[in-house]
Amino acid sequence: MTTDLVLPVLRVRGLRKHFILHNVDGRRVDALHGIDLDVLPGEHLALAGSSGAGKSTLLRCIYRTYLPSEGEVHLRLTTGHEVDLATLSDAEMAGVRGSELGYVSQFLRAEPRRGPLDIVARAGVARGMDLSDARDAAAIALKRLNIDEALWDVYATVLSGGEKQRVNLAAGTISPPRLLLLDEPVSALDPSNREAALDLIADLTSHGVGVLAVFHDLEAMERLATRVVLMADGLISAQGPPTQILSTLTGVSR
Amino acid sequence: MTSHSPMERAPWVLKVENLGKVFGPMDSDVLAETGPEIGTSKSSRTGTVVAAWDVNFEVAAGEALGVIGESGSGKSTVMRAIAGDHEASHGAVWLRTRKGDVVNVAAIPDSARRALRVDELAVVYQDAAEGLDLGVTAGGNVADRLTAAGWRNFAEIRHRAAHLLGRTEVPLERMDDIVRQFSGGMRQRVQLAKALANNPPIVLFDEPTTGLDASVAAGVLDLIRDLLTELGIAAVVVSHDFSVIEMLTTRCIVMHHGRVVEEGLTDQLLEDPLHPYSQRLVAAART
Amino acid sequence: MTLTHDSTTSQQSRLEQLCPPTPRAGLIDDFAQREIRRAILTAIAIPGYQVPFGSREMPVARGWGSGGLQITLALAQSHDVIKVIDQGDDEGVNAVNLRRLICETTGATETSEPAEATLIQSRHRIPEDELRQDQILILQVPVPEPLRGVERDMRELARMHAEADYSKMWVSLYEDKVRNGVITRTTGYPCLVNGRYVIATTPIPRWDVPRLHQAPFLTLFGAGREKRIYAVPPRTDVEPLTFTDVPFEVESTPGARCHRCRSEDSFLVEIPGPQSQWICSDTDWCRRERLSKEAQI
Repeated sequence: MTTDLVLPVLRVRGLRKHFILHNVDGRRVDALHGIDLDVLPGEHLALAGSSGAGKSTLLRCIYRTYLPSEGEVHLRLTTGHEVDLATLSDAEMAGVRGSELGYVSQFLRAEPRRGPLDIVARAGVARGMDLSDARDAAAIALKRLNIDEALWDVYATVLSGGEKQRVNLAAGTISPPRLLLLDEPVSALDPSNREAALDLIADLTSHGVGVLAVFHDLEAMERLATRVVLMADGLISAQGPPTQILSTLTGVSR
Repeated sequence: MTSHSPMERAPWVLKVENLGKVFGPMDSDVLAETGPEIGTSKSSRTGTVVAAWDVNFEVAAGEALGVIGESGSGKSTVMRAIAGDHEASHGAVWLRTRKGDVVNVAAIPDSARRALRVDELAVVYQDAAEGLDLGVTAGGNVADRLTAAGWRNFAEIRHRAAHLLGRTEVPLERMDDIVRQFSGGMRQRVQLAKALANNPPIVLFDEPTTGLDASVAAGVLDLIRDLLTELGIAAVVVSHDFSVIEMLTTRCIVMHHGRVVEEGLTDQLLEDPLHPYSQRLVAAART
Repeated sequence: MTLTHDSTTSQQSRLEQLCPPTPRAGLIDDFAQREIRRAILTAIAIPGYQVPFGSREMPVARGWGSGGLQITLALAQSHDVIKVIDQGDDEGVNAVNLRRLICETTGATETSEPAEATLIQSRHRIPEDELRQDQILILQVPVPEPLRGVERDMRELARMHAEADYSKMWVSLYEDKVRNGVITRTTGYPCLVNGRYVIATTPIPRWDVPRLHQAPFLTLFGAGREKRIYAVPPRTDVEPLTFTDVPFEVESTPGARCHRCRSEDSFLVEIPGPQSQWICSDTDWCRRERLSKEAQI
């Protein structure tokens, strides 16, 4: 292993986020109160905590779907350089998304008139794969996630929630980015499909992808996480190995 | 460490710089008397209308930038100033041509501007009658751009027109039909084929699906998005409709009373709008 | 020279008693002559450009050759020899009237022989004979604007010419070819003059269009109703607009030959009737053809 592995792929420092709701009397809502966090390559860092603790907000601030109010979000690029996602220009941020930084939510943003194979392959093309490679990789991913081949060219809008979620995961993990943000990516899956999805995610970390994930169940965290960060009220309240943190959590996360 | 971006960024092909369009007498106070804070783009003292002011953005090849706002916000003014349909009164619209020249669209003669419209910059209008000759066949409309660019071989013109119409999903058996007989959605597809005729590096979309039935609009949007990703063109999409902006663009600016009130990544503007007006606009779109 | 009439001497003397001959004033004064000549000079200087001029009332209706007539009157002097043809025919009523009018008001001499003429005014044809550089061809133009069919807005027309933006014309040729399989335009075929302006070659048929290209003679186009004069100077390129893979073709009817002179290589027109019969459109050329063939026998 090279020294590159020990340098974090993500360094979050003093990250704060508040919202001003101009439509509700200018009310201020503080969501993150200063987050410090590192993710190493090949590390699976699970965010735990009750709902409203700020887990999804943190992911969105890193992906810049929310604009950080304060603090730094350093991403180490493939080139070895670090960039601060909090201050990167919009155009540069758009360029970082994709090959460097990926985000998979629990919802597939339904694209009209497109089938699963097409959706996943296009995600690969968007990350720089050529079309035939992307189609091959997409077929492998869909097979792995138990998407019936008969559905590959059916418009995704008619798929079930679980099927959509798996298509979404396949699209988000084809030609994987250096850092992958996961927001409840298997919430709608039945046990056997969930198993396949978790297996896929475990594979990514073993290949050096840094993962920062929110799962709603402890079992997934236990299975995948190399480290767990516990959040409460927009702050990190504890972090450590899964066995240590999760044992304190029974009944909290669910 | 992050002051110099280590990322390779494609150079801009379209750069709008301090663009302004003012109707009426201009003095130093007019700007303070207009804008989002005042709630109007018209000075009550002089009657001057500041249709657009201090608009800045860059678009690179393969990028799509959205301009969103209500009617009267100045978004169409910006579009028409870039297209050269109207002259800007302030600022510059820089275009990097395929030959690598940089020209200010706002400062060249009309004839030079029209020449740019042949193969450097195309516009897809809301009203197909603006972009098409309705009395001419679908193929003839494409031929118009090709012959303007110097195509003189009939078979080649026909072949290229058929290819483009096929690409924009116009049934080939309708290639020789007069466009006036076409439905709204089909006219937009012909407009797209015509706009793409000479592979322009820049395409402007002015409310490309407004007025179409929802299902037809969805199909046209889908086609536009495909073309944008496939052809690597620099696009500016002007719309009042967030769903259009969301589907086609990665970045956008929000205009209100002639000024840019916010700019950002499109998903950020939708999920975390900062300006009061953006929040109102998003709230309205989400209900 | 005065024309002879078939009237009897007694009738003539009676007429002279009632209406004694007085010298007719010229139809256009010096001022008008100068204005038209200036327009002509401008037209020659900018080949194919339509020069506006102050078209006068003529003793012929507009649309009956008033534009060509004004050019001829502005150029003709007493030493000139005038040939006027209508549809290729020197004896057409309109041709006779115009010729008589021109000669009586300018003192010029009339002829039907192209070789003798200094000025040839024509509707529809260029004489079959090769014209020389000391001769001027004057065409009576009904619609001078080649883009009229594709654009109505006058300002837009002016812009299109100014910027040599002829894509709409190309589209109309494209549409013609798509709809009809061939380019069907007969008279007024659009041509690019000197690589710059598109002109309507109206009133001449396609047959005569190639004869304008690099012609030794000056051609002047006069449109009285539309108040425009344009020119193709000697030795100027005149290229019919056509696609590179759709060759420009002139009218031809396979197997047709002139019923009178047996010619196959002249411009023929069909005589209406039960069976198809063709004759030369250029009647004077046809007459001389017949004479030379008879002489050979």
